[in-house]
Amino acid sequence: MANTEIISNLLTRQDTWRGRSRRLPRRTIYTGHQSLDLLLQGGWPVAALTELLPQQLGIGELSLLLPVIKKHGSQLCLWLDPPYQPYAPALSAAGIALDKLLVVRSKNPREWLWAAEQSIRSGALLLAWARPQAPSYADLRKLQLAAADSSSAAFLFSPVKALGAPSPVALRLELESSEVNQMLLTVRKMRGVASGAQLQLSLGESCTQRTNLAQLPADRHHGYINNPVLRLKS
Amino acid sequence: MAKHNNLAHDIWLYLHFPLLPLETLLPQLPREQPPKPIAIIDQQKNTQRVLCCNNQASAWGIEPNLSISTALALCPELVVAPRQIELEQQRLQQLALLCYRFSPVLTVHSNCGLWLEISGCYKLFKGYNSLLQELHNRLQEQMVTAVNGIGSNPLAAQLVCQAEFQIQLPSTRQMEQRLFSTALSKLNTNARQQQSFKQLGLQTLGDLLALPRSALSRRFGRELILYIAQLNNDKPCNAPRFQPANSFRDLIQNPQGIFNKESLLFPMKTLLQNLCHYLMARQCHCREIEWQFEPLIGEPAQMRIQLSSSQNNWSSLLTLSRLQLERLELPRSIEQIILFSDQFVEAPQGMGNLDLFGDNSCQQQSSELIDSLNARLGMEALSQPVLNQDYLPEQASTLVTPGKQINTALDNRLKAPQPVWLLSEPAPVQIRNQQLYWHQPLSILSGPERLCGNWWQSEQQRDYYLACDSRGARYWLFRETSSQRWFVHGLFS
Repeated sequence: MANTEIISNLLTRQDTWRGRSRRLPRRTIYTGHQSLDLLLQGGWPVAALTELLPQQLGIGELSLLLPVIKKHGSQLCLWLDPPYQPYAPALSAAGIALDKLLVVRSKNPREWLWAAEQSIRSGALLLAWARPQAPSYADLRKLQLAAADSSSAAFLFSPVKALGAPSPVALRLELESSEVNQMLLTVRKMRGVASGAQLQLSLGESCTQRTNLAQLPADRHHGYINNPVLRLKS
Repeated sequence: MAKHNNLAHDIWLYLHFPLLPLETLLPQLPREQPPKPIAIIDQQKNTQRVLCCNNQASAWGIEPNLSISTALALCPELVVAPRQIELEQQRLQQLALLCYRFSPVLTVHSNCGLWLEISGCYKLFKGYNSLLQELHNRLQEQMVTAVNGIGSNPLAAQLVCQAEFQIQLPSTRQMEQRLFSTALSKLNTNARQQQSFKQLGLQTLGDLLALPRSALSRRFGRELILYIAQLNNDKPCNAPRFQPANSFRDLIQNPQGIFNKESLLFPMKTLLQNLCHYLMARQCHCREIEWQFEPLIGEPAQMRIQLSSSQNNWSSLLTLSRLQLERLELPRSIEQIILFSDQFVEAPQGMGNLDLFGDNSCQQQSSELIDSLNARLGMEALSQPVLNQDYLPEQASTLVTPGKQINTALDNRLKAPQPVWLLSEPAPVQIRNQQLYWHQPLSILSGPERLCGNWWQSEQQRDYYLACDSRGARYWLFRETSSQRWFVHGLFS
C-alpha cells in the first residue's frame, strides 16, 4: 500500500522522466512570432536563463522581447545595465507599462550578479546586459540555478564574442541581421535540440530604398531664421 | 446610572514593576559570573538610600530604604548604581506600548506601574486567564519583573497589588475580600490621617468603609471621601489615557562599545522589534527609518532606509538594514545605537497578510525587490523611464527614481517609428565621401520628421531621419537646421 503511494508520488513529480513520452512538458511563453515558437518548441523557456548574442546593437534584439515584456503584466520588469537609456514614448507605444519597468545600474560585477539573482528570485522578469568584463561560468551557473527555482523567464544579452566560451544557460541564440528588419536566428545551445538550427525572421517591412544626402529636401524655413532683417523685426 | 453600572463590571489590572530601576540599568552594567549583588540608590532627604536590589544583594540582608553606608557595611562588594529616572520612564513607555496590545484603555503611573482595563478584551483573548498568561509571558520576554493586582477600579487594583504575578482572575468576592482586608497603612494619605486611623482603632480598609460617610467627611476632609467614592465605583477615575507617541525613537547603549558590524545586528534586531510593536499599536506603516550609530568621541554615522511598501515585520527591515550597513563606514567603536522614524502612513484597510487570493503578493514582491535593491545599490542606481509632455526627445523621456512616477496618457504625436534606445547625449556624425559616418557608413532610409522645441530659450529645430548601416542595424539621426550638423540620437533595437 505504502509502496504504491511512493511510486505514484514519484510519477507525479515534474522531474521524473518516463520512457513513454519523448520529453518533459516544458513551460514556455509565446514569443509573439509563430515561426520562432516552432523553433523554440513552444516559446521562450520559463524557469531558465536565455542568452541572446546579437552581432551588434540596434538590429532588433530588444523588439524580439517586447511581446514578452508586454505580456508580463503586473510584475516588475528589471533592466540591468542597459547599453543606452530606454526611450519612454517608444515603449509606451508598444503597450508596455512604464511603471513596471525598473532600470538598474550596477557599479561592479558583484553588484551586477547580486541584482540579477535578487530579481530572478523575486519573480521579476529580468533583462540583463553583460558587463564589459564578461560574467564567469560560475556566475552564469548561479543565475541559471536561480532561474530554475523561480517561475519567471530571464534574458541575458551578451556580445557575440562570448560564443567562444561555454555557457551553462538553457538556451543560447545568436542574432544577426544582414538587412533592415530581417533577423537571422541561430540556435547555439538548446536542450534536446542539436545546435545550428536557423530561422529567418521578418520583424517588419523590408526597405531597400536608400536616400542620398544630396537628395534630401532643402530646408527653406531655416533661411528665414538666419535672415537678420526678419530677426530684428520679431 | 447606566454608566455606573458599566463601571461595576470593569476589571482593572494594575501592573507594578518593582525592580524597574534595576532592570533598566542592567544591560549597561558589566555582566559577571557569578552575578554580583547590585543595588540601585536614590537621593532621599540628604541621604542616599537603597531603592531596590537584586536577589544576590537581598541574600546579604540588603533591603529597600537602607542607607547606602549601612548597605555597604552589610555587603562590602555591593555594586551601587544611581537611579536614572529618564531611562526608567523611557522603559516604562516601552512597556506601556507592549501592554497597549492587550488593552486600549491604559494609563501610565509614574511610579513604575501601569493600569489596564481588561473587561473589553475578554473575547479577543478567549478568557481573562489566557490574557493574563499571555501578558505574563510577554513581560518575561522583556526581562522585567512584574507583579499585579486586580480590582473593579484602578485604585482598588493598586491597593490589592500582590507580591507576585497572578495568572488566575480572582472572583468578585475574592476581590472584595482582598480590598477590605487591605491595611490602612497602604493608603496614600498623610501622616496625620494615618495617626487618626490608629486613634480610631481602624486597621483595615473594611473598617474604614464601614463607618458612615458623613462622619468620615467631617473627620478626614473631602479628599478622602472622593478617594473612597472612587474605590466604591461611585465616581469614575479620570486619569489621562496612554497614547503612542507621534514619532518613534529608541536607543540602545553599550558602554563597552561595539567593534564589528556583525555584533551590531543583535541590538538592531531588538530596536526593530520595538518599532514593530509601536507600528502595530498605532496601526500604521512606516516609509522610512533612520539609524544612527554614535561613538563616544567623534561624528556619528547615519543611514536612512526607504521603504516603498508595507513591510512591517522586523525581519525584512533587518535584512534591508543589513544590506545598507554593508556599504556604510562606521566609527571604530559604537556606544549608542538610535533608531528613529517619523514618516508613517496609515495601514491599508483589511489584513494585507491574510489576503486569500494572493492578488497582493505580486505587488508586494515587486516592492520588496525595489527596497532591497535600494538598500544594497543605493538610491541612485535605480530609475524608471517616464513620459513627459515635451517635443524634444531627450525631454519627452526622462528617468526618475522609482515610485515617483506620474502616469500621463499622451497622444502619440510622431507617426514615424521611434527608437527603443536613446543616447544620453546626441553623438555627432561625420560626413565622409558624401556619406554619413558613425562607427560605420550609414544610409538614410526615410524621413524627415521635423521636431521643434525649446522655442522660449534657444530654439531647437531638428529633422529626424531613419538610417541603417550595412549590417541591418537601424539608427535615429537628426540634422539640426540651424547648424546643418548631423547627430545620432537613438537606436532601433
